[in-house]
Amino acid sequence: MTFRGKLFWMFTFALVLSVVLIATGVTVVARKAFDENNTQHTDALVAQFQREFSNRGQDMARRVQGIANAESTVRMAIDLARPTADPSVYVDDAHGVSQSYHLDILDFVGNDGTIVSSAEYRARFGYKLPWIKSLTEGKMVDWVAQGPFLMKIDTQAGPAIALLAVSTVRVGDRNLYIVGGERLGREFLGSLVLPQGMRALLYLNLDNKFQAGDLLDENGPVDEPERFAPFIEKERQQPIERKFTINQTADPKEAEVFHETPLLGRQNGLLGTLMVGSTQREVVILQRRIEFLAAVTVAIGILIALLLSWWASARVTKPIQELARGARAVSSGNWNTRVDVHGGGDVGQLAAAFNQMTQQLADQRERLLQTERVAAWREVARRLAHELKNPLFPLQTTVENLRRSKEKNPEQFDEVFRESTGILLSEIENLKTIVGRFSDFAKMPQPELGAVNVNDVVRSVVKLFEAQFGAVGRPPITPELHLDEELPTIQADQTLLHRAVENLVLNAMDAMPAGGVLMLRTTHQNGKVDLEVSDTGTGLTPEECDRLFTPYYTTKQHGTGLGLAIVQSVVSDHGGRVSVESESGVGTSVHIELPNRPPKKPQAPAAVEAKSPE
Amino acid sequence: MKRRLSLFLAAISVVVAAAPAFTARRPHYGGTLVVEEGAALNSVDASTNPGEARVKGQIDSLIYDRKNADDTSTDPGPFRLAQWEPGKDAVLAANEDYKGGRPFVDAVEIRMGRSATDRLIDVELGKADVAEIPVDQARRAAESGVRISASEPDQLIALVFETSNATTGDPRIREALARSIDRAAMVNFILQKEGEPAGGLLPQWSSGTAFLFSTAPDPARVKELLSQIGPSPKIGLGYDSGDPLLQAIGERIAVNARAAGISVTPEAIFKGGTSKADARLVRLDMASAEPRTALASFIENLKPTAISNEDREPLPDPATPEQIYEREASVVRSFSVIPVAWAPHVYGLSGRVRDWTAPKPGEPLPLANVWLDQVDAVREKRNP
Repeated sequence: MTFRGKLFWMFTFALVLSVVLIATGVTVVARKAFDENNTQHTDALVAQFQREFSNRGQDMARRVQGIANAESTVRMAIDLARPTADPSVYVDDAHGVSQSYHLDILDFVGNDGTIVSSAEYRARFGYKLPWIKSLTEGKMVDWVAQGPFLMKIDTQAGPAIALLAVSTVRVGDRNLYIVGGERLGREFLGSLVLPQGMRALLYLNLDNKFQAGDLLDENGPVDEPERFAPFIEKERQQPIERKFTINQTADPKEAEVFHETPLLGRQNGLLGTLMVGSTQREVVILQRRIEFLAAVTVAIGILIALLLSWWASARVTKPIQELARGARAVSSGNWNTRVDVHGGGDVGQLAAAFNQMTQQLADQRERLLQTERVAAWREVARRLAHELKNPLFPLQTTVENLRRSKEKNPEQFDEVFRESTGILLSEIENLKTIVGRFSDFAKMPQPELGAVNVNDVVRSVVKLFEAQFGAVGRPPITPELHLDEELPTIQADQTLLHRAVENLVLNAMDAMPAGGVLMLRTTHQNGKVDLEVSDTGTGLTPEECDRLFTPYYTTKQHGTGLGLAIVQSVVSDHGGRVSVESESGVGTSVHIELPNRPPKKPQAPAAVEAKSPE
Repeated sequence: MKRRLSLFLAAISVVVAAAPAFTARRPHYGGTLVVEEGAALNSVDASTNPGEARVKGQIDSLIYDRKNADDTSTDPGPFRLAQWEPGKDAVLAANEDYKGGRPFVDAVEIRMGRSATDRLIDVELGKADVAEIPVDQARRAAESGVRISASEPDQLIALVFETSNATTGDPRIREALARSIDRAAMVNFILQKEGEPAGGLLPQWSSGTAFLFSTAPDPARVKELLSQIGPSPKIGLGYDSGDPLLQAIGERIAVNARAAGISVTPEAIFKGGTSKADARLVRLDMASAEPRTALASFIENLKPTAISNEDREPLPDPATPEQIYEREASVVRSFSVIPVAWAPHVYGLSGRVRDWTAPKPGEPLPLANVWLDQVDAVREKRNP
């Protein structure tokens, strides 16, 4: 991955992480706050409902007391207190009075607990209302102080739970009990003022086990009552206030939180359960809105993060990329490469240093080139002088012999002349040979590419020198070929390659005056062909290795110093590399690496590696 | 002196004020007698239900000279039909040429389709002169100052079983229910003491043998029967949804039964509706004051299913009291019909109605003999 890519993803990760963390934090905190607020709100509403419930009881108790205070009731009490009282006169009174006072339950009960008139159970006249007598037997009960209470009662329609209040009208030592109340049921729930989003459910604990039909709301039996069954059963086991959540669907919007309050009778028996439910719709919608906003914020944040990261990484890496491009250009030989210097920061300083470095490199290269050029000329001059001096000296001595013979031995001049001209011609031919070699090196042709099998080249060169390897009077040289038969053909100039290999073999033979082993090995790897030419000769010193490919440098008495230079030139023209490994007294190995196809662009001079143990 | 003078003047004013009342106590002609009926007769030529038939019979009895209910004579009666508004109003004008003599009132206006509450209010307010009022309202109406006239208890309130189903097919269940009913309490409280407990199919005043039938609850016998039956059966008890009296009695029967350990559920039967009730509560008028005819009519109308064919046969005419009792007892012992109470027809009368007598079973209202007191003539003018 590029530096720019790394920077981009690093910036992106950091920004996205920040945005996500912030959004998550805000969402979590908001949700917690909403939950707390919702709980407080629900608790307040439940408290309000319970106050409403209590107020209804107090109001109902006042109405019952109002009935007790009514003149007609007092008259009834007086009438019933008479020994010859006829209660049948009042059998229908409770019905009318209950309607006037908006009571579901109203019983006029005589002193002995006998029902005189009943609104909710009209046909029950003459029967005893057992609980009122048992409560009042032998003691005075302050019913007003007792306030309203819950009780399971019998009605025409069956058992019911009612919120009751009792008042008495006392005439002499006889009481007329007025039992009034409201039946807990659908109508009662419907008459309670509930805030929006709340509903009240009532379970009437009329049976020994959960009965679905006894779970009511203001519209009647509740839909899917079995969902409430476990909570009601818990309440039946242990009547305490509870909270539970019910969700009809998987959608949390449909969830309702219920506050369950046990309705206890006078004996603390569970008569019913009041469940005040508040929908979570608004809260969930609000939470979802916040979550949606958070998600949108995260999405926008991520988008912005990507853009910012892209921009920042581009901005940061642009000078570095320019530097990299510059470095590549320098490495490819463009020593005049310069990069723009942006600002005075680290990268700017780096760019300035780069520019300075390339400037210095160019200058040094120029100086080096000049130095090398001078050195090369000096070397050429030295070589030329050396090469030319040898033939020139015989020429000079021959010419001087001729002059001396002419002057001192004229009779022998012809013979001397003949011998001298022969020597002169020979030396001149020698000079021409030397000049020809230099000329050949100067005229190295561009390779003409074709399909070449390096193994074939190696075999032809070895065949060429076969006679010299075992020549009489010369220590034998044993050629060893380790050729890779799977070697692919490469695009190369066979003649030039042949010439290069020929030079390497010649050098190897020169390095083994006492004979030895000449090993030629070919291998291939990654589409490249490797050729190794090794000898078991005298080896080279590290200094010799360093200068080995320098033109006109030679370690031999009569070498021109152009052999390996030609090798390097050929390999370089084919886009390859040449290296030398040598150890003094052991031998020398020359490695040539040739690509499958030479690059089209003219290559820089072939890289040369020379390794020699120090 | 002044004191004596003032006392004298006061005495004279009292005499003058009382004079019209004294002068009006003699029968005289005039006035329109307003009668209200609950049923609405849409045609004087036909009737489709018992209520309409009763109104039609009432009108026919006034415009035709009939000696009894079976008489089909078309001789002009004491009144003639002067005005007819189907379902609402019928005005009968006095027949001046009636061979029995012109009736006292100039006209009888029969207002039809008036509810029981409206009739009671109209009588209380003097807007109606004669109207039948619910028996359970009689006592309260009387306390409100309405003149009340009650017939002999001639309406039988009884419980009739459908004996074909498994629940009530067992006579022990029917007997247990019959013996759990506290009839006296019903008469005292629901009928407001207008009526009497019914143990048989004929009232005491008609047959003279009603006292032989027990009307008191028998908890011991009920307990014994229930112990034989096993788990308490559930009995549906239907009643006419338009009859509050039957509803009250049905609910009371349910309370009595429940106290005895029998589950009875009252359920209203709406007009034209069907019911799966095991028993139904009915209210039937006596067809006649004559016990043989009345018993035959009850058996025919109640259709008790658990009696022998012999008991369905008509009694000899004339029948002895023993024969009538035996037949009555046989039906009652089947417990397919449980007599509950006898209720009278109760009429509310305005203060100006004179010479009124409650009709006997099967007879129309004796309107031809009624005359109107002039004391109320002023009120009549004020509230035509």
